[in-house]
Amino acid sequence: MSQVQQTEPTLEVLAPLESGVEAVQGRTPWQLFYTRFKRDRIALFAAGVVLLLIALALLAPAFARFVVHRGPNDLNQGYTSDISVPLLGPSKIAWFGVDALGRDIFIRTLYGARTSLLIAILATGISIVVGIALGLMAGFVGGKLDTFISRLIDIVLSLPLLLLAIGIGAARIVRGQTLSLREREFVEAARATGYGNIHIMFREILPNMVASIIVVATLLIPQNILFEAALSFLAVGVPAGTPSWGGMLSDATNGALYRIAWWMLFFPGMFLVMTTLAFNLLGDGLRDALDPRAGR
Amino acid sequence: MLRYIIRRLLWVVLVLVVIVAITYSIFFLLPGGGSDAIANRFAGKQPNPEIVAEVKQQFGLDKPIYVQFYIFTRNLFLGDQYGWPGLGKSFVLRAPLKQVLVERMWVTIQLAVGAAVVWLLVGIPIGILSALRPRSIWDRAAMTFALIGISMPVFFIGPLALYVFVYKWHILPGSGYSPIGEDGLWQWFNHFILPWCVLALLYAAFYARLSRANLLDVMGEDYMRTARAKGLNERQVIVKHGLRSSLTPLVTVFGLDLAGLLAGAVITETVFNLPGLGQYAVRSVFSLDLYAILDVTIIAAFFVTLANLVVDIVYAFLDPRVRYT
Amino acid sequence: MRGGTIREESPEFGWTDAFDPTGEYLGTAWGMMDQLLIRGLMTYKHVDAAQGGDTPVPDIASAPPTVSADGLTYDFTLKDNVMWSPPLSRAVTADDFLYAFQRINDKKLVAQYGNYYCGVIKGMDCAAKDDNQPISGIKVTDPTHISFTLDQPTGDLLYRLSMPATKAVPVEVRGCFPNPGDYGVDLISSGPYMILGQDKLNLSSCSTIKPISGYNVDKGMTMVRNPNWSAATDDTRAAYADGVQIKINSNVDDSFNALENGDLDVVQGTPPVAVLQDFETNPDFAGWLHADQGDRTWYVTMNLLAPPFDDIHVRNAVNLALDKAGIRKAYGGDLRGTLATSVEPPTVLPQSTQINPFSANTGSGNATAAMDEMKMSRYDTNHNGVCDDGPVCQNILFLGRSTDPWPNMNQVAVASLKPILPGLDLKEVDTSTGYTTLQQVKKLIPISMVPGWGKDYASPYGFDFFIFDSAGIACTAAVNYSLVGMTEAQATECGVKPEYDAYVQNNGPMPSVDDKMKECVAKPADQVDACFAELDTYLMTVAVPWAPWLWATQFTSTNLKTVVSYQFDQNAGIISYVNTSVNNGLTPQNVA
Repeated sequence: MSQVQQTEPTLEVLAPLESGVEAVQGRTPWQLFYTRFKRDRIALFAAGVVLLLIALALLAPAFARFVVHRGPNDLNQGYTSDISVPLLGPSKIAWFGVDALGRDIFIRTLYGARTSLLIAILATGISIVVGIALGLMAGFVGGKLDTFISRLIDIVLSLPLLLLAIGIGAARIVRGQTLSLREREFVEAARATGYGNIHIMFREILPNMVASIIVVATLLIPQNILFEAALSFLAVGVPAGTPSWGGMLSDATNGALYRIAWWMLFFPGMFLVMTTLAFNLLGDGLRDALDPRAGR
Repeated sequence: MLRYIIRRLLWVVLVLVVIVAITYSIFFLLPGGGSDAIANRFAGKQPNPEIVAEVKQQFGLDKPIYVQFYIFTRNLFLGDQYGWPGLGKSFVLRAPLKQVLVERMWVTIQLAVGAAVVWLLVGIPIGILSALRPRSIWDRAAMTFALIGISMPVFFIGPLALYVFVYKWHILPGSGYSPIGEDGLWQWFNHFILPWCVLALLYAAFYARLSRANLLDVMGEDYMRTARAKGLNERQVIVKHGLRSSLTPLVTVFGLDLAGLLAGAVITETVFNLPGLGQYAVRSVFSLDLYAILDVTIIAAFFVTLANLVVDIVYAFLDPRVRYT
Repeated sequence: MRGGTIREESPEFGWTDAFDPTGEYLGTAWGMMDQLLIRGLMTYKHVDAAQGGDTPVPDIASAPPTVSADGLTYDFTLKDNVMWSPPLSRAVTADDFLYAFQRINDKKLVAQYGNYYCGVIKGMDCAAKDDNQPISGIKVTDPTHISFTLDQPTGDLLYRLSMPATKAVPVEVRGCFPNPGDYGVDLISSGPYMILGQDKLNLSSCSTIKPISGYNVDKGMTMVRNPNWSAATDDTRAAYADGVQIKINSNVDDSFNALENGDLDVVQGTPPVAVLQDFETNPDFAGWLHADQGDRTWYVTMNLLAPPFDDIHVRNAVNLALDKAGIRKAYGGDLRGTLATSVEPPTVLPQSTQINPFSANTGSGNATAAMDEMKMSRYDTNHNGVCDDGPVCQNILFLGRSTDPWPNMNQVAVASLKPILPGLDLKEVDTSTGYTTLQQVKKLIPISMVPGWGKDYASPYGFDFFIFDSAGIACTAAVNYSLVGMTEAQATECGVKPEYDAYVQNNGPMPSVDDKMKECVAKPADQVDACFAELDTYLMTVAVPWAPWLWATQFTSTNLKTVVSYQFDQNAGIISYVNTSVNNGLTPQNVA
C-alpha cells in the first residue's frame, strides 16, 4: 500500500464530501478523490451494485412477507415429497426454484445477503479496530513493543485460522504507515508544540491513514464474505437453518444435488460472486481515486 | 549469517510451540470440545461413566490440560514411540498418524504443485501482455478476468465445473483421487485437471494483477530509460531488464502461496474429494480427533514459517542492506 | 457363479472400534466379520428374512447345544476340521472360544455389549484385569467340547452366542493387544476369506505381529480367499467371489458415480436424491436399488416425566394423531419401509404386526379419534379434545433433526399433532446434538423424533433391553429416553425427584417392564417370542412411551451388469457378501 497525501486532512473533511459539495476554495485531497472517483464509471457501477445489495438485504423480510409470501425456512413438502418427482426449478411459483426441502431459493438468497453482509461488515469492523490498535502501537511506540507485536502478527499469520489472519493483515499495513508517518514534519511539529503521544497517534497520524484504512476495509469485506461462505460451506459457519450463501452452496453440493437442481448452485453462487466482485471493484476504484499511481 | 539462521530456526520452534498452545486452548475452550467430549464420542453406543473414564485414561485425556500439552510438545520435538517427529496416534484410526499424514501430504503436494504450474503459466503471461499495452482492450479484458477470478470461490466454481464437464458433457471422470501408480497416468491426469484449474484460477488472477503492476512500476525506472537510450528496442529492454526485476518479488509471494497451499487446500480437496491434508483437517475437526487436528495445524504453521524463513534468508543473501535482526 | 471380486466403496467402516470383534459396535462391521472373516459357535444363514436370515444356526458347533433341564447349562461339541487361516493353519479349538470370552471379560478391552454375557454366564463380570483370567462358568474339557453355565436361564442365549465378540480368537494372540480395538488390524481369520496379507503375519511373539497390509481404516480393506477354509464345514456361506474389496471414500456421490460407470459392484446405504432419481426413472438402472427390511424402528418418543406426556391419554392421542404415512412420504416414500404399529420390527418379533392398539389410525393420522382420546385427559379442561391446561400445554419442546430431509418430516409430524397439542414448539438440531440432549435425563425433553433404534441381535431382548429397561437409564447417557420403569433411586440420582414424585402422585406407580423382561429372557427358546409379544402389548397399551411410525428398510445398490445374484443378510442388515455372486472376473487388488 503506497502512502497517501502530504497535507493534513482531518476527519471533519469527510462531511462536505458526503454532502457532495463541489468546493471551490482550494481543493482538499478529499475533493480531488471525489472528482476522480466520479469519473471512474466501473467503480460507480460497483458502488451502485453494493447499494442495491444492501437494499435487497434490508428488504428481505418485506419481500418474504409481501411479494413471495414465504419465509426463508418455510418448507413446502408438496414439491419434494417423492423421490421420483424432480425438484421444482425456477418458475412463477418460485423464481429461483426450490431446494431439496422445498424452501424458496429466491427468498433464501436474499436472506443469505443479510447474513453475508452483516457478518462481513462486523468481521471487517473488528479486524480494522484490532488492526489499528496493534499497528499504531507497534509503529508509533516502536522498540520492544514493536518487536513483540510484529512477532505476534507473524505467529497469527502462520496459523491456519484465516479469521484472525485477515484481521491481522490490517495491523501490518497500519504499522507500516505509522512507521513512515511518524517521521514526518507535521508529527515533529505537533511534538514540538508539546502534544502527547496519544494525541499524536489519534489526532495526527490516524487521520492521515483514514484513506488507506477505508480502502483496506473495502477490500477486506469481500474477503470476509468469501471466508464466511467458506466456513458455512464446510458446515462450521453460521448455525444450520440460518440462510447463508455458503450453506446454500453446501446444500447444493450435498449428494451432488446440483446434478438435478442446478438452480440450487447457480443463484446463491452468482450472488456471492457478484457481491465480492462489486466490493473488489469498488475497493480498486477507491484506491485509484485516492492514489492514482497505486496499482496502475 | 549463521547466527541469524540459527536464531530464525529457534523462532520457528517457538512459533510451533505457541501454535500448539493456541490450538489446545481453542480445542478445550470451545463448546463441544475438551476431554469429556472426546471420551464420550469414543466410548461407544452406551457411554456409561466407567467406560468414559477408561477411554480417557487410555487416550491420556485424564491428565490436566497443561500436562497433556507438555507431553504433546515434548513428543513433537523429541519423538514418540512411533519415531520422530512425534505426531501421536489417531483416536479414530487407532494408528500412528505419521504414515497417514505423509500419504495425505503427497496428495496435497500433487494438487498444489500442479495448480502452481497452471497459475504461473496463465497468470504471469497475462500480466506481462497487459503491462505491455496498458489500457488497451486486451488489458481491460484481462484485468476484468483477473478481478472475476479473485471473486470466484472454489466452492462455487468447483461444483460448476463438475456440473459442466462431468455431469453434462461427460468428458471427465468426476471427482476423487486416482493414484498414478494404480490407474495410470491418463486417469491420474483426468482426475487432477479440474482441481488444478479451479484452484489455479484465483492465483492466476492474482498473479496477473501483480506481475502487471510490477512490470509497469519497473518500466518507469531510470535504468530502463537508460537501456532505451542505449538504443535497445522496447522488446529487448523489457525482456532483458524489465522482466527480471519485475518478477523477482513474485518469487517471494510464490513461495508463501505454495507453502500456504501445502498446508492444505481445504475447500478444493473437499469439493473434489481429494484425500489430502485439508480434507483430513476438516474430518478430524468433526470427529474430535485431537492429535490429528494438532498435527495438521502444526504442519500448516511449519510450512508457512519455513517459507518465511527461506524467503528472508534469500533476501539477506541478495540484499546486504537487510539487517539480521 | 464362482470367481470375480465384489468391489465396494463405503464412507467409513468400523470407525468407533477399529474392527476388533470384542469391542466393535458398528452393525456393518459385525456383518462383514461374521460373514467373511470369523466363525463362531453359532451364526446366521446370511440370507434375507424370508429365507430365515434372522435365526441362529450352528457354525463351528457341530449341532445345536445340549441344554440341561434347568436351562442353566449349554454343552457344545465343535467340528474338529475348521481351520485357522495361514500362518496358524491349525484347527479352531474350544480354548479359542474360551479366550474370546476372556477378552469380553477384560475390563480394558471395553466390550460394548458385555452385559449380554456378564451377569449371565457364571463368573463373568466384565471387570477382569486382563485377558487371562479364568471364568468359572465356561468349561473346556477337550479341544472339541465347551460348556457354559449360566446364573439364570436365558432363552435367547444362542442369539447372543452368534455375536461377533463371541467368535473364536486364537489363543496365540493372548496378551498382545491390551488396548481396545488394537486387535482389529491383525484380525485372524477362520472364515472363508482373510484380509489380504494376513498369511504373512509372524505370530511367534507379540512384538513381531505387525498390522496386516490389506487393511487400513483410512483407505480400505481387501479380503481374499482363506486357503484353509473348507466348504464342507460351512453350511451358511457359499463364498462365490474370489475376494471382496471395500474402499473408503468419504464422498458418496463419487461412489455412486463409479457404480453407475461400472467401476463398482456394490454401494450400501441411502443413495443421494439425485442418484435415487436416476435409479427410479432411468430404465438402465431398473432393479439396481434393493430395499430390504432393516430390523429397525423409527418412532416419536415421549417423556413420562414431562407433562402433558405423563398422562397416558395424551400419549395415546399422539399415537392416534400421528400422520405416519405423511412422514414416510417426506422421508422418501414407500421404499423407506412399512408403517409401524408397535415397537418391534416384525422381522425380529413376528407377532408385532398383530399388536395394533391404535388401529383407528390407519396411517395418515386420525384427528377425530385423537381428540376423543384427548377429551379424557386432565390437561383438556373443557373436554373439547385440545390440550389447554395453561402452561403445561404451551411451548412443548418437540426436538427434531435438522438434516435433510428431516425438517420436512418434522413439519408433517408436528402439523398432524397440532389439533390436540397446539402448543408444540419444534426445535431442530443436528443428529448427534439431538442424541446427546436426549441422553441427559435432567433435560426432560418432552417429545422428540430424533432417535431411531435397531436391534443388537434378532431376538426381541436384543432390541428391547436398553431402550425400555430401567438399566437403560444412566443420568447422562440414557437410551431409555421415555424413562419407562425409572426407579425412585434413579430419579434422585439424576435430579428429577420432584418430577418423579409428581408423576406417581398423579398417575400411580411408574409402568415398568423390568420384571417382564427378566421373565421373558428366562423362558425356553421357543417361548421367548410369545412372552415378548405380551411385553410389547403392555408397552403399547399401558406404558405407551413411543409413537412408532416406521419399520425401516435398508438400501443396497448393486450394479446389475456385474452382480449376477444378489442376497441380503437379514441379521447383519447388509448385503450378504458370501451369498452374492459377481461375473466381473477380476482378481482382488489391494485397496488399503
